[in-house]
Amino acid sequence: MIVGFSSSIHKKYEGSTFQLLAETVSKALDMATIDLKDIDGIFYTVLPGVFDGKASLHFSSFQIPSFLGIKPKVIELVEYGGPSALTMVYRAEKLIEVGEINTALCVVGGKASFLRENKVTVDAVDRFLGNVQLTPYDDLFRVYQDLNPVSDYALVAKRHSKLFGTSDEQRALIAVMQRKNALGNERAMYKTPLTVKDVLESRVVSDPLRLLEIVYPVDGFHVFVVSKHQRKSDLRPLKVEFYGESHWSEMPPELPDIVYTPAVESSNGVNLERIDAFQLYDSFTITVMLQMEDIGLTEKGKGGEFVERTDITYQGEVPINTGGGSLNVGQPAFMSGGVILEEAILQLNDMATNHQVKDANRVLINGIGGWNRGHSVTMVLGEGNV
Amino acid sequence: MFEEIKKKYQEMFGNEKLPYLKCTRCGHSFYYPRDYCPKCRSRELEVRESRGVGSVFSMTKFRDRDNKEIYYGIVELEEGFRMYANFIVPVEIGDMVRVKFLGKESKVPFFEKI
Repeated sequence: MIVGFSSSIHKKYEGSTFQLLAETVSKALDMATIDLKDIDGIFYTVLPGVFDGKASLHFSSFQIPSFLGIKPKVIELVEYGGPSALTMVYRAEKLIEVGEINTALCVVGGKASFLRENKVTVDAVDRFLGNVQLTPYDDLFRVYQDLNPVSDYALVAKRHSKLFGTSDEQRALIAVMQRKNALGNERAMYKTPLTVKDVLESRVVSDPLRLLEIVYPVDGFHVFVVSKHQRKSDLRPLKVEFYGESHWSEMPPELPDIVYTPAVESSNGVNLERIDAFQLYDSFTITVMLQMEDIGLTEKGKGGEFVERTDITYQGEVPINTGGGSLNVGQPAFMSGGVILEEAILQLNDMATNHQVKDANRVLINGIGGWNRGHSVTMVLGEGNV
Repeated sequence: MFEEIKKKYQEMFGNEKLPYLKCTRCGHSFYYPRDYCPKCRSRELEVRESRGVGSVFSMTKFRDRDNKEIYYGIVELEEGFRMYANFIVPVEIGDMVRVKFLGKESKVPFFEKI
């Protein structure tokens, strides 16, 4: 069960990434009342350029536990980008179940400001740091000018509009309702009310996606402590009630269509009727719309109509991204599975002050990530009551 | 084999021809080079020449650092494969396009509207 968690989010953190990591880990361990010596599993993720601007860490599996002073029995690197945080918690639970370990630390984040200030994203890090390969086919498509990941999701949004008549206003509604959720969230970076007009008047970054539909990469970590022992933790004994992952490894042009995500498969078999709130990966408004369709909240192509007729705020009938999501909290190190997982835990523990969903007993979290949207993880957290 | 395919692609680009791979066992056509078929694992592959004519599968536009408008997207070729590319002029989804090679020493396939 999850016995502790913490986050540290900064627009720009001046210290080293290791320092920021250590601060966040300390807060999570304090909450869990667990000592360093009790941690026997560590799960983490790292992306090129987000550890103090290094293309990679030599043996990150040594460097990270070494800095933190942890001597675990199990170390695992999970590289799914966005959904990594969800997978770490699941795998930690599984290893605890079979008795391999007792207590695991799950770590996701890094510093995004270094890349942001150098005007590259993690999907274009090869243009800044040498010797980084994004795909096996870089020499064929990196000759083109793109703005990935924004331009990739712009292609998806454009095609979604062409096939299904989805309007810019419909996508903007997602940003507007998520902002309403952010207004009461102390963790949110953006807390001024937003209208559809504001979204539509913001700068077009890559047609049709506008600035207010796009996540802001920040510095930060999320840390989750999963343990066999509840100790003094006041947190509810949450279990992973449903878990699915799916990986579509095709280059987007080779997919049957780009308007589907692997969430179609990772969510296969989940019972939506029992869910009280949804946390859907929101790197872009279109990402949220795709997941609404792919997990089955609405039919494919009907995401636009769905957001027109559904109140998705924390007080609404289908609460989605109840803390404002990554669009308002920021995207630590270009992968914000931690943002949506933390929000799910807050909701389930009645800790979401001023944005609490009433009677939240079961929350669905869906993470999307990796190169373009190759990975999807669907997870339901609850107490396991039937 | 993999290096040979990549070399062949560059040679064809140099001659302003658009290559693709065809699996002669299962018939799968694809653009991004692999020396085995990702559908049936066959090594019986042929580098073929596309007519270079297709339609716009999706597109976006944005401004580069010099404020120049860039048109980027995915093209679906008549032979049944898709690839990323830049367009020379603004296009819309469904527009018919034809390959045009740009660059002097190493040429790159772009697409223009027909």
